[in-house]
Amino acid sequence: MRDYKELWHSVLVEIELAISRANFTTWFKDTHIVKEEGGTVVLSVPNAFAKEWLMERYHTMILKALRGVESSVHAIEYVVNKEETRRREERALGDALGMRELPLQEPQINKEDGLNPRYTFETFIIGPFNELAHAAAQAVIKKPGIMYNPLFIYGSTGHGKTHLIQAIGNFVKNTSPGKKVFYMTSEKFGQDCMNALQTQKMSVFKEKYRKYDVLIMDDIQFFSEKQKFQEELFHLFNTLYDNNKQIIFSSDKHPHFIPGLEDRLKSRFAAGMIVDIPPPDQESRIAILMNKSRTQDLNLSPEIIEYLAHSISGNIRDLEGVVNTLAVHAQLKGREITLSDARNFIKNNAKPKKSVAIKDIVKIISDFYSIEEESIYEKTRRKEVIKPRQIIMYILREDFNISYPSIGQKLGGRDHTTVIHSCEKIKGDLKEDQSLSQEINQIRNLLAV
Amino acid sequence: MKIESIRETLVDAVSRAEKVSGRNTTLPVLAGILLSTDKNQLILKATNLDLGITIKVPVKVSLEGKVVVPAQTLNQFLNSISKEKSISLESVNQTLKIVTSGSRATFKTLPTEDFPIIPELSDDLAFTMPTRDFIGGLKAVSFAAAQGSMKPELSSVLVSYQGDELVFAATDSFRLAEKRIKVKKIPHFNQLLIPAKNASDVVRLFDGISDDLSVTLGDNQIALRSGNVCLTSRVIDGTFPDYKQIIKQIFLEENISRVVVLKQDLTNALKTAVVFSDNFNQLILKVVPKEKVFQIESKNKDVGENEQSVPAVIEGKEVTMSVNSRYFTDSFQSIGVDSMSLSFSGEGRPILIQGVGDKSFLYIVMPMNR
Repeated sequence: MRDYKELWHSVLVEIELAISRANFTTWFKDTHIVKEEGGTVVLSVPNAFAKEWLMERYHTMILKALRGVESSVHAIEYVVNKEETRRREERALGDALGMRELPLQEPQINKEDGLNPRYTFETFIIGPFNELAHAAAQAVIKKPGIMYNPLFIYGSTGHGKTHLIQAIGNFVKNTSPGKKVFYMTSEKFGQDCMNALQTQKMSVFKEKYRKYDVLIMDDIQFFSEKQKFQEELFHLFNTLYDNNKQIIFSSDKHPHFIPGLEDRLKSRFAAGMIVDIPPPDQESRIAILMNKSRTQDLNLSPEIIEYLAHSISGNIRDLEGVVNTLAVHAQLKGREITLSDARNFIKNNAKPKKSVAIKDIVKIISDFYSIEEESIYEKTRRKEVIKPRQIIMYILREDFNISYPSIGQKLGGRDHTTVIHSCEKIKGDLKEDQSLSQEINQIRNLLAV
Repeated sequence: MKIESIRETLVDAVSRAEKVSGRNTTLPVLAGILLSTDKNQLILKATNLDLGITIKVPVKVSLEGKVVVPAQTLNQFLNSISKEKSISLESVNQTLKIVTSGSRATFKTLPTEDFPIIPELSDDLAFTMPTRDFIGGLKAVSFAAAQGSMKPELSSVLVSYQGDELVFAATDSFRLAEKRIKVKKIPHFNQLLIPAKNASDVVRLFDGISDDLSVTLGDNQIALRSGNVCLTSRVIDGTFPDYKQIIKQIFLEENISRVVVLKQDLTNALKTAVVFSDNFNQLILKVVPKEKVFQIESKNKDVGENEQSVPAVIEGKEVTMSVNSRYFTDSFQSIGVDSMSLSFSGEGRPILIQGVGDKSFLYIVMPMNR
């Protein structure tokens, strides 16, 4: 069948000739064909009046016109269009009236400083995994611009970076009202920069960001490969830094691993404090689950919490999602969640545990170090192969709990003592070698995808 | 068609139908009222394609038939001949002749075959309640709905059944009004959204009818029947924002300054204050616990300044806030008691307005952001 729009258009032309202008505009305005199935055309009409009228008065005429164009049509069904046909462009009515809006959905993000008031230190759950980052944040709020400038927080998605950096902003804003705080995503900065370039208002753009006392920029990994933005950021950074203004960045990677980031920026980021938020450990996951279930008024027994914390290894957002879903389940069933409910839920919904394909891990890690995959399995003792091989063993043991003998066997028939030695070696090195631990984190990120 | 009727019954029916008839429409027949006979009844119909009204009145029918008469002129004519008791109508060719003892008029008619069909709803009764209560609920909140908003759910009145109450609510996202009315158990009804514009028409059209109102729900349509009037309206298919959490939050607030004033005092003070308000209708409200007064300030750089004090019973600390006077005073009409309470939960936070001792109505308004 041909295009519905075209079909209906040709029908309308015919009808328009046959009836009066007033009748035509009243009854055929906002009508269209929704679909055609087995010779039945479904016609959408704007209201119930039009439906009645077309059915009673114009049905034969419409059918005849339709058949004239498309002979297979033998019936018409009329449906009232539920969607409002006249949705207009949304205006910022509130601005015009100078009124604030009711917080009908989410808490409002403050337009002036971009901060979401929901993110505070009070709601930030501290565990062994993020206590360092939290301590750094506390140091920053005590002496903004002096201690740890810039503060650079990195970690994988859902580990609480945004919460922490916004909490700093909210705290400073509330305790020292005179200070100008501004939070934005790097994307927003990029957009502003683009707009300024296009409208040739670079000076306005530069001025705008230089007046802040605390500037928070989220997700700056998006700046990779964007030379112009990096240049602007570099100059902005220098100005703010020289005037002892606090700058806070977040990213999903350590600055050294953000591809295409200029060295001069990297070295400046390193000048302050770079702190990592790793994934939450078991205890923290328990604490988070307890806290979230309390805010949801959901009663979960300690066994269930422990079970959930054990089976969901992912990020905090995953934990939140599970609690929300269980809360809905509890409401629907009208009783408390039992351990078997939780088990069923996890079985049906959670991501399946990573199945260990040693070959894949070997491939990813050897790619990471740009060496031949084969060489891992060979007996070679070349230096550039030994280290990756040891890391592979370490990761297989630590992250995937594979026994020493089977690791040895799978990696070219090595003795289990070799494997034990390798793992101990890496563990020992990790204590001293900062860059090694970063490498391993990178690898873990790669494996997690 | 030839009928004879008591003038008063006809006037009442025509004036109701005239309110629904279309104005400035592309289809001229919409500006008319369709009069048709059915045994001993005259049936009047009018529609603007958004609302449709059907009114049945008992008359003496000598000859059956139907005719469409321009609504406005007919209404004006009938209202002007206030002394007459009975009135006779007869259609002759393309005209309608109206004869009373003292006057006679001829109206040009419109083609009956063009008059739209008002959708009938199958009897899927949702609930029945006193008409006064239902229109009271709509009246109490419909002013708070957005006018011609792009969000249809904000330009509607929510009618929902909760527990043993029918809850009416409307919000334009700057303020929110909620009215609760006790009703008998309603088994098969959850909620519906009536366009606010239609809601105020419902209020006008059922005004003064003392019978019970029955509400029937159909596909995209709702039918309201009371007495001899049946009104059909479009309903909105949408989700009303979840406003309950806002109310919950306000009641949980600990740091509240609560002011109780006499409604009349406040109304008088506001009347004076708005004389000096600026283009934004801005009023500065001050709660002054020390002096036991509630202050209202307004200023306009082109006019001058003004300050009003209203004696008040105050709990809590001093607060200053600025509001839009129109949004603030709109709610007063729905407060049916002498004294009212205003609760301030801090700068930038919503203000709660209620009648003292009347929990059925509440109003929340946001302050201005300057």
